[in-house]
Amino acid sequence: MSVYAAGIDIGSAFSKGVIFKNKQTLGFCCIPSGGDYRATAEKIKKELLSKTGLSSPAPIFTVATGLGAKMVGFADVIRTELSCHARGIITIFPSVRTVVDIGDSYSRALRIDEHGHLLKFLLSGKCAGGSARILKKIAKILQVKLEELGPLSLRSQKQVDFNTNCAVFAESEAVSRIAEGASKEDLLAGIHRALAAQVNNLAERVGIEKDYALVGGGAKDEGLVKAVELMNGFNLVVPSEPLLTAALGAAILAEEMAPA
Amino acid sequence: MAEEQKKNENQKRRTATKAASMIGPMVKELIAATHRAKAEGKKLAYTFISCHYEEIVRAMDVVPVWTENFAGICGAKRDAERFLSRAESLDFSRSLCSYALCGIGFDQWREDLGEMPPDPPWGGQGRPDMMLSSGQILCDPRNKWYQAAQQFMPDVPNYNFSIPWPLYDDDIELTEIEPYYIKYIVSELKGLIAFLETQTQKRMDYDRLGELVNLTERTWNMIWETYELRRAVPTPMDTGDAMNTMVPWAFMMATQESYNFFAELNRELKEKIARKEGVIKDEKYRLLWGGGLPAWFALKDFNYFNSKGAVFPVETTYRLIEPIYRLNIPDTNDPLERIAYRWFRYWTYMYDKAKKRPGSEPDVERLIQFIEDYKIDGVVMHEAFSCRTWHLGLIWQLSQLKKIYKPVPFLTIGPDGTKNVEHRELPTLILESDIIDINSYSEADTRNRIDAFIETLESIKKQREN
Repeated sequence: MSVYAAGIDIGSAFSKGVIFKNKQTLGFCCIPSGGDYRATAEKIKKELLSKTGLSSPAPIFTVATGLGAKMVGFADVIRTELSCHARGIITIFPSVRTVVDIGDSYSRALRIDEHGHLLKFLLSGKCAGGSARILKKIAKILQVKLEELGPLSLRSQKQVDFNTNCAVFAESEAVSRIAEGASKEDLLAGIHRALAAQVNNLAERVGIEKDYALVGGGAKDEGLVKAVELMNGFNLVVPSEPLLTAALGAAILAEEMAPA
Repeated sequence: MAEEQKKNENQKRRTATKAASMIGPMVKELIAATHRAKAEGKKLAYTFISCHYEEIVRAMDVVPVWTENFAGICGAKRDAERFLSRAESLDFSRSLCSYALCGIGFDQWREDLGEMPPDPPWGGQGRPDMMLSSGQILCDPRNKWYQAAQQFMPDVPNYNFSIPWPLYDDDIELTEIEPYYIKYIVSELKGLIAFLETQTQKRMDYDRLGELVNLTERTWNMIWETYELRRAVPTPMDTGDAMNTMVPWAFMMATQESYNFFAELNRELKEKIARKEGVIKDEKYRLLWGGGLPAWFALKDFNYFNSKGAVFPVETTYRLIEPIYRLNIPDTNDPLERIAYRWFRYWTYMYDKAKKRPGSEPDVERLIQFIEDYKIDGVVMHEAFSCRTWHLGLIWQLSQLKKIYKPVPFLTIGPDGTKNVEHRELPTLILESDIIDINSYSEADTRNRIDAFIETLESIKKQREN
């Protein structure tokens, strides 16, 4: 009997898990990471097991990834988010060659081949500029839910221009624009355009080749996706669960690596 | 105390060669020697590396104090922050060259106290009697740093000289312009000598200068020959060590000790090659350190690459030498002309090669040469945010390289008509931090990037095997 394969992705905002067998996803989950990654990993494991009806002693081969991968005490192998995203996205969309993961602390651009092998990558800098962190900050300032950002932005009539790429400065710039009377819709459209420019710059540096996919938390924001699409002049590919791509890739790698 | 010492030892970078492990004590001695010289009444001069004035300074018995070296030491010891902060408190922007900021912060503190700042790294930087600045290699801080330092040392003269070379252009005709450049550089060197003669009240001994120029040329040849030994597979020495062995090149040129050091390294590398002893046991990936100064506080990252099966047989950083025969320096007995030709031709000898490849540039040609000669699998560069001079061109160089090392397989036909499919994808990695400002550095982020890069190399290797 082959073992079950699990992919656990401990990110700075959310942690995700996918359990896999015979190339089929049996279950997945996504929970806030909190401040104790070790406990979060255990919680994910428990949740995955409950979804599949497995008992804990069942043989599971686990690949951990993400910022807190080293905290996954039961992991058999650790792989970077980049390799996991590559394997995950090529499984969902075999035509994808360029991927940008818009995460909470970084954005990452990847170019991959038809097998999901990583050919080239770039990460945004050490600071939060270019990551989805700014979206959380703006949502807090505007007192709207994260899922409302996209629809609001798409209703913009006249977007506000932002002069900074820095998440901290953008926050204070947003406050100034509000004071000048900018609407929520226009402000968000401006933020989305500024972030889209940074994200797309990373993609251009690895070389944009279609299909071009957006994944990670930022890809759930349709306003941001639209802004990147406008910048490129073509439609992007976004999985239905963009937060899970790396965990899925990790699970696929786990199945390949698991002892027979 | 013993525990602390043990901890510090554990933090030391692991060197592959005995020669590299000797560098720490050598640098300490270099600094101690400047303090002894000062006590003996000799003249100290603040100096920058790669200005080709070493022979002149030494022939005049002026003792060089290498300010970039001292800043690097502060960085490597992770003790630069207090000097950077001090410069910042004097209204120098943190985005300026952090070498310069560190030196300015240290100098101001020393001048303020009238003695060395507390616990000065390796004894501290001695007060100069003069400063010799030059903005060549397009580095503006090397013009402005010492001028700024004069705010705290108004009595110390600063001599700023210029030894230019022509920037690359497709239609440049070197033979037409070289005589003008040589004439100008020689006049600048003469100006420097006149300044030193005034400061030391001594006349230049041109015979001695000639001997030192010969010694430098022999040392260049020895360095080139020695570093070329690193082409061996497995490579016996990598860039981690070269960031140490740069010391006798950068700070000891025109001394017999520098020549002897490289002769000894040459012998050591030949022995290691004979024993097939590499930097690591299982060499999987050969990388080129394609530019940028290193993060001096994070040299252990080279060991991290090694732990993943990657080695750096070659680097462009601190490899600013060529074998003298390759430069075809015209016969001349004038040591100043020899220096001028060496300078001019070092910077321009790749121009003809670059002209033959549309879109290329000399810097890119140098990368290509190393990639081919050293059987390179990937290129790593370091963008040090405060070193504008260097990191501005790195991304452009990589984009030019991308045009040559394309991600698609292509067909080649050998001389015998055999067809082969070749893959020339060359993955690249850009590390981002600084030379000495540790605030710019995240070990977790850097190692995450390295891990991903290694996975990329692995992917490409598998792809080629398939």
